[in-house]
Amino acid sequence: MTEEQTMLWDTADRYLRENTDFNQRRDQIAEAIYNQPQKWQAFAEMGWLAMPFPESMDGLNFGLREIAILAELCGQYLVTEPLIDTLAVASTVLMRSERATALVPDVISGELIAIAAIDEPTAESRLSPSCTLSQTESGWHLQGKKYWISAGASATHFVVLADSGNGLAWVLVAKNAEGLSCETFPTHDGKGGANCHFDLPINDDQILLMGDAAAEALAAFRECAMTLSSAETLGAAQAALDTTVDYTKQREQFGQPLASFQALQHRMANMLIQTETTRSLVYAACDAADRDSPDRGRFARAAKVKSAAVGRKVTQEAIQLHGGIATTDEYIVGHFFKRVTALETWVCSKGEALQEFMALDA
Amino acid sequence: MNASSPLPTDSDAFRAAVRDFLREALTPELIRAGERTTSVFSDFEAGRQWQSILHQRGWGAPDWPLEYGGTGWDIQQRYIFQEECRQANAPTPVMMGIQMLGPMLMHFGTPSQKERFLPGIISGSNVWCQGYSEPGSGSDLASLKTTAEHDGDDFIVNGTKIWTSMAHYSDWIFCLVRTDKTVKPQAGISFLLIDMATPGITVKPFTSLDGEVEQCQVFFEDVRVPTANLLGQENQGWTVAKSLLEFERGGQHFTIDLKKQLSKMQHMMSSETCRVTADPTFAYRVAETQIDVMALEQTELRIKGSLTAGDNPGALSSLVKVSGTELGQRCAELLIEAAGQSAIPWQSEVLAPSYEGSTAAASESVTTMAEYINSRATTIYGGTAEIQRSIIAKHVLGL
Repeated sequence: MTEEQTMLWDTADRYLRENTDFNQRRDQIAEAIYNQPQKWQAFAEMGWLAMPFPESMDGLNFGLREIAILAELCGQYLVTEPLIDTLAVASTVLMRSERATALVPDVISGELIAIAAIDEPTAESRLSPSCTLSQTESGWHLQGKKYWISAGASATHFVVLADSGNGLAWVLVAKNAEGLSCETFPTHDGKGGANCHFDLPINDDQILLMGDAAAEALAAFRECAMTLSSAETLGAAQAALDTTVDYTKQREQFGQPLASFQALQHRMANMLIQTETTRSLVYAACDAADRDSPDRGRFARAAKVKSAAVGRKVTQEAIQLHGGIATTDEYIVGHFFKRVTALETWVCSKGEALQEFMALDA
Repeated sequence: MNASSPLPTDSDAFRAAVRDFLREALTPELIRAGERTTSVFSDFEAGRQWQSILHQRGWGAPDWPLEYGGTGWDIQQRYIFQEECRQANAPTPVMMGIQMLGPMLMHFGTPSQKERFLPGIISGSNVWCQGYSEPGSGSDLASLKTTAEHDGDDFIVNGTKIWTSMAHYSDWIFCLVRTDKTVKPQAGISFLLIDMATPGITVKPFTSLDGEVEQCQVFFEDVRVPTANLLGQENQGWTVAKSLLEFERGGQHFTIDLKKQLSKMQHMMSSETCRVTADPTFAYRVAETQIDVMALEQTELRIKGSLTAGDNPGALSSLVKVSGTELGQRCAELLIEAAGQSAIPWQSEVLAPSYEGSTAAASESVTTMAEYINSRATTIYGGTAEIQRSIIAKHVLGL
């Protein structure tokens, strides 16, 4: 890490350590609070929401490597606030849209929380939506449904992927807009989701991108989301491993610590090997993106496939090595497992990334 | 999804009779309770009601010998019965009494204990929970510290039990207690039957990782238990306990549930919400899992075919438990991948059998995530997969 990156890591780590309480997190989720206002405000004040934007927009002009530091810490501290969700949209869709320029100050200040709405019932919808944006006499009309929007409960706005009849379009819709019915719900990973039904008029200003530019933004958004979900998975896997090592040193059965059994030591050694090799790939994917290397798409997909497999295996093993205690909601290790499971499928699943990786190599 | 059936065609009439019964007896609410089961336990009241219906039909405990209220069915008929119940989405009652304690009472119980406890178990009017693990004694079960000391005609029990599934609904608990601290751990354990209504017992339920409440911790403070409630000889409880665990591990047909998971998979793969239909590697993994399920099915039949009703499968139950639970986890993983993003909502109210409203998750993936989460516990409870492998190494391989 560069000096700047180390400083960012240390600051973010200190803030999250001091402001994260596992039991408080559970209580808030139970009350359907997924985005704590003071925390979100602090994120804004620390400049986290300004990271992807250029200095000309009062942004910090940070790369994916820096954003991934936050994602990794989100995994470690089980952050439910919509940080990677908004940063992925900001770095790709908003950054490409001239119309979004006017919105950026509100995004940086934390007032406008824009979450991508891409999923529909069919798997194909992630690339070719059936949600339509059609021209009317006075402007446009958005019609269709978006489901299972992770962090959708925390959104103030949705950035909706639609079919304009003339290529893709990204459309900005306020959550409280008339003609949008939005149902929010708790999710297993504590992020809070939303299902939305759009049937409303749209003006030109709301159409952030259209045609080729929208398609490019979708490709960039997916690639960014793959890498950020990999980084968050990495953070969660590392934390699950650390928790397991600590626990097995303390827990005694048959008159000795669990950690003294060779069969279990080997399993924890495997968890470490897998986590460290994932780390290398995640960081390489960030660097490839920041250098705009021709390999960037290939690395993002590799990181996604590797992290999804390793995140699953490591958090499953963490539960198994703990035993019964890890099957209760009152103990932290299962929450890493639940978050990693949700990340497996967010924006692009492991299976989708694997097929795309093979297509790139063909 | 056609795991080949090993049953001869002359079972068809039996199967048809079971199906007719299920069609009549299962109300829409009971079926919903079955469909929305995310662990080994269905909604408690639905399970209790179903056990009472089965009992009235004379099918309350098909695995028990005829003299105790069993059905007299052969191994294939019992298999068909379980399979049909599962396919019809019958709810699962709390089975600790029928599956675990019942056979122990038959082997080790006095005539008066059998007479006193077996009828309540088979009718479902007495629900039992299992008091084995303690906070400091999980895999090392023999180190348990809950004590029972003689006081006149009673034992006085002190200590705590953990992971006691459904204790908050249970009328009775069967417990391992320490009755002699001076001998080696296994030699000082007794098996006690304790009325949960006895003064001095408190129950603290836990929320499981999937958000449901099934697990509890039970505390005993100077709990008075008549010595007549001792099952087997004093200080011989370890023999009873081990025998019971073999029933717990091998007493169910894992493949029936596995085939049910595979048929859910088939249903999901034909649904428009399925995320993996275009992925050829996924179909290979499903097929490989199917083959492993077939291998386990034949293994279960091979083992059970060599036993008569009421017998116990010994160390081979460990083989079946490891295979069955790990295969169940694999099926749950495949299902979660097929459901993808559509399984992220968590709405516990939807799991109630009376719930008829809409769901935020896709209808075919309402229980998928909870089942995946709960599948992780299956290689922990009833003796961890690590303990099972140690048993196989020691008792089967002789290492």
